[in-house]
Amino acid sequence: MSRSVNRRRARYTAVALAAGALVLSACSSGGGGGGGGKQSAGPGEDKNVSSNYSLGNKDDSTGPAPQPAGAKKGGTVTVLQRDAFHHLDPGQIYYGDMLINQLLYNRSLTGYKIDEKGHVKVVGDLATDTGTSSDGGKTWKFTLKDGLKWQDGSPITAQDVRWGIERLYASFETDGPQYIQQWLSGEGTSYRKALPDGPYNGKHLPSSVLDTPDDKTVIFHFQKPHADAPFATAMPNVGAIKADKDTKQKYDNAPFADGPYKVGDYKVGKSLTFVRNENWDPRTDPLRNQFVDKFEISFGHQFTDSTRRLLADQGADKNGMSWTNAVAPEMVEKVLNDSSTKSRRFIELQPYLDVINFNMDRLKDIRVRKALAYAMPSGQIIQQIGGATAGQLATNLLSPSVDGYQPSDPFGKKAKPNGDPEKARALLKEAGKEGQEIVYAYANTDVQQKVSVVITQALERAGFKVQKKEIDSNVWENSIGEAKNKFDIYRTGWGADWPVASTVIEPLYDGRTISDGASNYAHLNDSSVNSEIDRISAIPDVKKAAPEWMKLADKILTDDVPAVPTYANLQFALWGSGLGGVKYHPVYGYADPTSVFVK
Amino acid sequence: MTSPAQSPVVATDMEPVVPTADLVGRSPGQLMWRRFKRDRAGVVSAVIVVFFFLVAIAAPLISKLYGKNPTETYGLDDNGLLNQFGYPVAPNGGISGRFWFGLEPTLGRDVLTQLVYGIRTSLLIAAIATLLCVVTGVLIGVTAGYLGGRTDYFLGRFIDLLLAFPQQLSFVAFTPVVYSMFVSPEKETPTYLRVITLILVLWVLGWMGIARLLRGQVLSLREREFVEAARVTGASPWRIITKELLPNLWTPILVQTTLMLPALVTAEAGLSFIGVGIVEPTPDWGRMFANGAKYYESDITYIFFPGLAMIVFVVAFNLLGDSVRDAFDPRTKR
Repeated sequence: MSRSVNRRRARYTAVALAAGALVLSACSSGGGGGGGGKQSAGPGEDKNVSSNYSLGNKDDSTGPAPQPAGAKKGGTVTVLQRDAFHHLDPGQIYYGDMLINQLLYNRSLTGYKIDEKGHVKVVGDLATDTGTSSDGGKTWKFTLKDGLKWQDGSPITAQDVRWGIERLYASFETDGPQYIQQWLSGEGTSYRKALPDGPYNGKHLPSSVLDTPDDKTVIFHFQKPHADAPFATAMPNVGAIKADKDTKQKYDNAPFADGPYKVGDYKVGKSLTFVRNENWDPRTDPLRNQFVDKFEISFGHQFTDSTRRLLADQGADKNGMSWTNAVAPEMVEKVLNDSSTKSRRFIELQPYLDVINFNMDRLKDIRVRKALAYAMPSGQIIQQIGGATAGQLATNLLSPSVDGYQPSDPFGKKAKPNGDPEKARALLKEAGKEGQEIVYAYANTDVQQKVSVVITQALERAGFKVQKKEIDSNVWENSIGEAKNKFDIYRTGWGADWPVASTVIEPLYDGRTISDGASNYAHLNDSSVNSEIDRISAIPDVKKAAPEWMKLADKILTDDVPAVPTYANLQFALWGSGLGGVKYHPVYGYADPTSVFVK
Repeated sequence: MTSPAQSPVVATDMEPVVPTADLVGRSPGQLMWRRFKRDRAGVVSAVIVVFFFLVAIAAPLISKLYGKNPTETYGLDDNGLLNQFGYPVAPNGGISGRFWFGLEPTLGRDVLTQLVYGIRTSLLIAAIATLLCVVTGVLIGVTAGYLGGRTDYFLGRFIDLLLAFPQQLSFVAFTPVVYSMFVSPEKETPTYLRVITLILVLWVLGWMGIARLLRGQVLSLREREFVEAARVTGASPWRIITKELLPNLWTPILVQTTLMLPALVTAEAGLSFIGVGIVEPTPDWGRMFANGAKYYESDITYIFFPGLAMIVFVVAFNLLGDSVRDAFDPRTKR
C-alpha cells in the first residue's frame, strides 16, 4: 500500500464518434449550479483520529465477527474493478485493490477489526491475540487458535506459518512488504541471504530467528525492538501457506484459502469468482462474515463505467460494488444530487498523502524551498484531481489518518489554500534568487497535465521560471526514484502501511536510505532528523511515540522543507441498493467486503 | 449541385478545342473555376473552409478584441465562477456575456479563445503536414510510375514498409527518443519542437497513399498515345512528367489533398486525445475533445462548440473536395 494507486483515468479513442454523439444531444443541460452536496454522508468524519486506533485483547480476537443488522445469507455480489489484480499470492500483495481482495480468502497472524463507527482495533486473526513481547520488544510470541482449517479441511499449524514467512525469502517474492523479513534477517534486501531459495530446498530459518516449538506457537526473534510488530503481522504476507499446496509463482493464480471464501473460477486479467469455503469456521474469525454465496469480480471497468452502472442500480448491478473504483470525478455531482444514493455511498479519508517533493540535492537554499512551499496552490491542485470529494487540503507531512496527527500548519495553507505569492516573492528576493529556474517533472497523464498548468502559473506568479518536463507515466516512478535525477520538484503520494507515523517518516525522510528507487524522494539527509528517528523508533510504547513523530514531522517541515504537502486523498465509494454491510476500511482506504450481504 | 445538362458551357472535359458561337479561349483552370462557381454547395463549403483558416490566422486578433486569452484561468482566479467540483456555476457551461462559449471545467479557462487557438494549432500542423505529404507523394508516385522497373519495385517495397508502421504507436514510441536527443534533461521541451516532431511523423507516415495512387495513374497514362508521341519527338522525361502527365493528375491530387487535410486534423487531434503530441498549456482542439468526452456527464456544453466546429470543418472540407473534383472533371459528377 505504500505507493498510492495510479490515478490515471480513462482514455478514449473515438474522437469523432464522441463529438458526433454529443453534438446530437443538445446543449441545454450542463451548468453546475451552486454548492452541490455536502461532503461525507457516511456515519462520521472522525474515523481517522488517533483515538480510534487501539490494540484489542483476547476477547476481541475471538470469533465470530459482529453481524450487521439485517444481515442474511445468500446471493451473489457483482464487483466492478478497473485494473486486473497482479497478484493473488498473499506474499506479493501491497496495493490497495489486492489488499482488500485478499481479505476474503487469506488470513494473517493479526488483523484489523473495524466497527460500525470506524474504530479500528488490531486483534489476533490466526493468532489468539496480538502477540506477547519479551526481551524489550525484540521477541514476539503468537499462539494459533484452535479449529483453524484450510479449504480442504486440514488443520492450520505453526509450521504452515513458518512456511508462509520463509517463502518470502525466495527470489520471486518481490512485490510484498518486507518488514518482517528485514526485522528478522537484515535491512534492505540483505535478508534474502539468510535463506536464498526460501524453504524449497529443505532449508529453514534457525530457531534463533523464527521458532515454532509446537503446532500452535510461532516466535519471532527480531534483531531490534519493534513495538509495532502487531501491525506488521497484519500485512497479508504474514500468514500461513500450506507447503504441499505451494506452487511458487503459480500460487499467484491459485491460492489455497483459509478465509471464508476460496477461488472458484479465475480468468487471469478478466474475471475472478469467489465461492464459499465450507471449511472456514466463523468461531475462529473475529473479522470476517460469510453471508453471500459468491463474489463475481470482473475487470476493465473504467471509473465512469462503474459509476454509471452503480448509479443506474439495475439488474445484477443492484447487488454491485467495487473494492477500489471511486466515483468518477466528472460524475460526482450527479451522484451527490441523486438522493437515492444517500444510504449507499461514503466519502472517507484515505491514508494516502500527496506532497510535492523538493530535490534537496539541487535546491540547496532553504529560502527557495520555503518560497516554493508558500507558492504551491494546493487548493487549485485539489480542484484538478476531482475537487472536494477527491482530496482534502493537507497542511503538514502527516496524514490525518496517522496516530498522533495534529493539524499544524506552518505554511498557512488553511488561510491561503491557493498559495501566497507575495510571501514567496519576498523570500526569493531575500535569497537573491528571483527568476530561479525550477525543473518541474510530472507524469504525463491528463490530470497531471492540468495540475501542471496551475502549478506553473502559481510559481511564475511568485517569481520563478518553470521548466516543465512531462515524463511517460510508465517510467515515472523509476525516473523520480533515481537518486541523481535532474528534476527540482515532483509529486509523490504515500500511505502509511499501518497508522503509525514510523511507516511514513522513516521511509520518506531518513537520509541514510537515499539510493536509487528508495522512497526518500526529497533526498533529505539531516543528521539531527536521522538521530531523532532512531530515538523515537526505540520508544517501546507505540502510543507514546505517536506525538513525538508528529513533533518530528513538524520540525522536518519547518527546518528542512523537503516537500510541501498538498492534499490527503479521499475515497468516494458507491454501491448498489441491494447490498448491506458495506463499510469503510480505514487502514487500507477502500470499501471493506468482509460483512457485505445481499438484502 | 447543378446537373451537367444545365451547364451549357461544359462541352468537353479536356482542352476547349471545339469552337462555339462566341469564341473565347479558356484554359482548363478557367473552365474549372466557372464550373465551380455554379456549384452552390462547393462555394458554401469553400467559404466555411476559408473562414476556419481566417479564424486560425486571426486568433490573436480575435482574442484581443474579445478581451480574453486562452491561458488565463479565470475560473480559478475569480471566486464564484466554478463550484467546489470545478464546474461552472452558471447554467449551460458558464455561457455569459463575459464568456461567450462558457468556461472550461476545473481550470476555468475561456472556451472561445481556447477553441480559436486550438484550431490554430491543429490547422497549422495539419496544413503543413498535408503540403509535405502531397509534394512527397507526387514526387515519389510519379517517379515510380514513370520510370518503372527496378525503381518502381524498390519504391513500392519502401512504401509497403512505411504503410506497415502504425502511425499512433510509432509516434508514442519515437517522440520521447527525439525529445531526449534534442532537449537537455533540465529544460522544457519547446513547443516548436513538439510541432515539428508532430509534422514530421504525420509526414513520414502519411504520404504513401497518394504516392501509390499516382503511381497507378501514371502507369496507365504513360502508355497512352500522347505520351508516346512526346517521347518520340524527343521530349525529356522531366518535360513529359511536368507537361504531359501532371496536368492529367490534378484531379486525384486535389481530391486526395482535400481528403487528407481533415484526416490529418483529426489524426493530430487523436494524438492529443491519447495524451501525446501537444501538451498543456498550448491550446489544442484534440485535447478539448478528450476533456469534453470526460466532462459531458456534468457539463455537456463544454464539448458542444469544439465538437460542432470539428464536424462543420470536416464536412465542409470533404464537400469542397468533391466540388473541386467535379469542377475539374464533370464526368464524375453524380
